[in-house]
Amino acid sequence: MNALILSAVLGVIMMFSGVMLKQKSAVRNIAITGLFLLLVVNILEMSGMSFFRINTAGMMHFDRFSLLFNCIVFFSTFVYLLLSARDIEKTGNYYAEYFTLIFFILCGVILVSSFQSLLILFLGIEIISIPLYILTGSDKKNLKSNEASLKYFLLGAFSTGLMLMGIALIYGSVGSFSTAQINMTEKPGALMIAGMILLLFSMSFKVSAAPFHFWTPDVYDGAPTVFTSFMATIVKVAAFIAFIRLFGEAFGNLQPQWQIWIALITAATLFIGNITAVFQQSVKRMLAYSSIAQAGFMLLSLYAMNADAKEGLLLYSAAYSLATIGIFAVLIKMNDYTFDGFNGLAKYQPLLAATTTIFLLSLAGIPLTAGFISKFYMLKAAVATGRHLWLVIFAVLMAAVSVYYYFRVIQAMYFKEGQPGIITTSPVFKYTLVVLAALIIILGIFPNLLLNWYYF
Amino acid sequence: MNVTQILFWFLSVLALFGALMVVTSKNPVHSVLWLIATFFSISGHYILLNAQFLAIVNIIVYAGAIMVLFLFVIMLMNLNKTTEPKKNRWLKLAGGVAGGCLLLVFIAALKSSEITQQTAEVKTGDIGLIKNLGRELFSTYVVPFEISSILFLSAMVGAVVIGKKE
Repeated sequence: MNALILSAVLGVIMMFSGVMLKQKSAVRNIAITGLFLLLVVNILEMSGMSFFRINTAGMMHFDRFSLLFNCIVFFSTFVYLLLSARDIEKTGNYYAEYFTLIFFILCGVILVSSFQSLLILFLGIEIISIPLYILTGSDKKNLKSNEASLKYFLLGAFSTGLMLMGIALIYGSVGSFSTAQINMTEKPGALMIAGMILLLFSMSFKVSAAPFHFWTPDVYDGAPTVFTSFMATIVKVAAFIAFIRLFGEAFGNLQPQWQIWIALITAATLFIGNITAVFQQSVKRMLAYSSIAQAGFMLLSLYAMNADAKEGLLLYSAAYSLATIGIFAVLIKMNDYTFDGFNGLAKYQPLLAATTTIFLLSLAGIPLTAGFISKFYMLKAAVATGRHLWLVIFAVLMAAVSVYYYFRVIQAMYFKEGQPGIITTSPVFKYTLVVLAALIIILGIFPNLLLNWYYF
Repeated sequence: MNVTQILFWFLSVLALFGALMVVTSKNPVHSVLWLIATFFSISGHYILLNAQFLAIVNIIVYAGAIMVLFLFVIMLMNLNKTTEPKKNRWLKLAGGVAGGCLLLVFIAALKSSEITQQTAEVKTGDIGLIKNLGRELFSTYVVPFEISSILFLSAMVGAVVIGKKE
C-alpha cells in the first residue's frame, strides 16, 4: 500500500514540477529521487513497516511474492531512468508529463501484482494500458509513432472488451469478483469456462503470446525507442504477474482444463517469436520479436504453476528486464538501428560493446548469466509437472535458435569493420551499464541473493 | 400476460431489432441512430429491474454523450455516403466462422447454466436504487473507487499531451 499511494502522489508531483520548474535536469532529478524513495518504501513494507492501514475489503493482498516483484520493477525502472532519462527529452515537449505517466503505470503495476478481486485486476490493466497508448504516440511528428499508437489503442481496447466480457460471465456464474470465491466453485459451469477462456485470450494479448501477438512488432518498432524499452520490459513482466496470479488463484482448481491450452500457446509463441526474429534486419524489430520469444519462456511458468514456477518467474522478470533495458539503452545511442549499424562498435566503444555482449549472452541463456539460471528454473518447473515433456524439449530447441540472432549483433560488433555513428555518452551512463552487467553475472552465479528475499 | 411481461417482450424485440439494424445498415449515420434506439430499449430493461440509476446513466452517458461523439466523428470524416470498401470474400468467411463459433459457445454456456432456472426480480428489490448503490460504493468498493481516480487523471494528462498544439 505504501508504494501505491506514494507512486500516485509522485505522479501528481511530477505534473506540477513540469509547470514550476524551468530546468529539465531538475525534473529528471526529482523523478530519479522519487523512484529511489519508492524502492525504499517498498522494502520497508517488506520488513513489516506499513505506513497505511487501509481496509481493502479483501480486494488486495500484499504478500511476499507481490512485494518482491514490485521491488524488481522499481529497481528496473530506477536503472531505466538512470540510463535513458536524458533520451526521453528528445521525444517531445512534455518532459515532466512523460514521467507522470510512468509513475501512473507503476501504480497499475502495483495493482496487478497484488489483486484479489477481478475489479482491481481490470483497473490495474487499464491504468497500465492508457498511459502506454499515449507514450507510444508521444513522437507526434513521426507517422510511424502515430500509426503504432492508434493500432495499439484499437487492439488494446478490443482485448479489454474481451476481458470485461469474461469478467461479466464469471460474475454471472459465481456472483463475486473475489478470486478466492471463484476458485471455490465446486462444479464450474459452461458459463465460467467461457469466461475463463475470454480472460485467457485477453491476457495472452496483453503479454503478446502467439496467436495474439500481431500488434507487438509494429507497436514496439513504431514507438519512440526509450518507451519501447519500458514497454518491452517492465510492463510485459507486470502483465505476466497478473496472468500467473489470475490463473493460479482464481482458476487454480481448473488447471486440468486450461493446461493444454497454455501448453499450445507457449509452443506457438516460442516458435513464432524465435523463427521470425531470425529474419529481421533491424535490431529494434529483432528485439520486439525476441520479447515475444522470451514471453514464450515466461509462459512456461504459467503452464507449470508450482513453487519453482513462481521463483522462476521472479528471477526471469529480473534477468529479462535488466538485460533488455541495457540493450535498449545502448541502442538509443546508435544512429543506425540495423545490424550493420553495430559494425565495428568494439573498436570505438569497447566498454559499450562488452556490456552489450553480456546482456545479449544473458538473453540467449548462456551459463554464468542470469538469463541461463532463470531459463533453467522455468524448464525445471515444467519438467516437475511430469506431463507434456515435448514442450520442454521444444523450448530448449527454440532457445538454441535464439542464439543465432543474438550472436549476430555480437558478430557485427567484434568481427566486422565499420564506423558506428554513436552519440556521446556520459560517465554516469557507462558506470550504470557496468554495474548492470555485473549484476547480471552475480545473479547468474548466486540466484539465491534474489530468491532468499522471497522467503525471509 | 401482464403489463410487465408485455413491456419486457416489446423492449427485447426492439433491442434485438435495433442491434441487427446497426450491423446491417449501409449508411453509418443510420447505424448510429439505431444504436441509440438499442440503448434506450436496454435502459427500459434496467427500469423494469428497478435499477433506475443505471438506466439514467446509460441514457446520459451512452445514448447522449458517446453517440453524439460518434455522429461528430462520422460527419467530420464525411462517411455519410455509402463508401464501404469491398471486403475480401475469404475474410468475410473467416469472420463469419469465428463469430459463429463464439455464438455457439455462448449459447451452449447459457443453455447449461443455472441462470435459466433463476428469475429476475422484476418491480421488486431495491438493490439498484441510488441510496444502496452509493452506500456500497463508499463502503465496500471505496478502494477501487478511489483508485479509478488515478485512471482518469492519467487519461486527462494523456489527452493534454496528445492534443495540445506544439
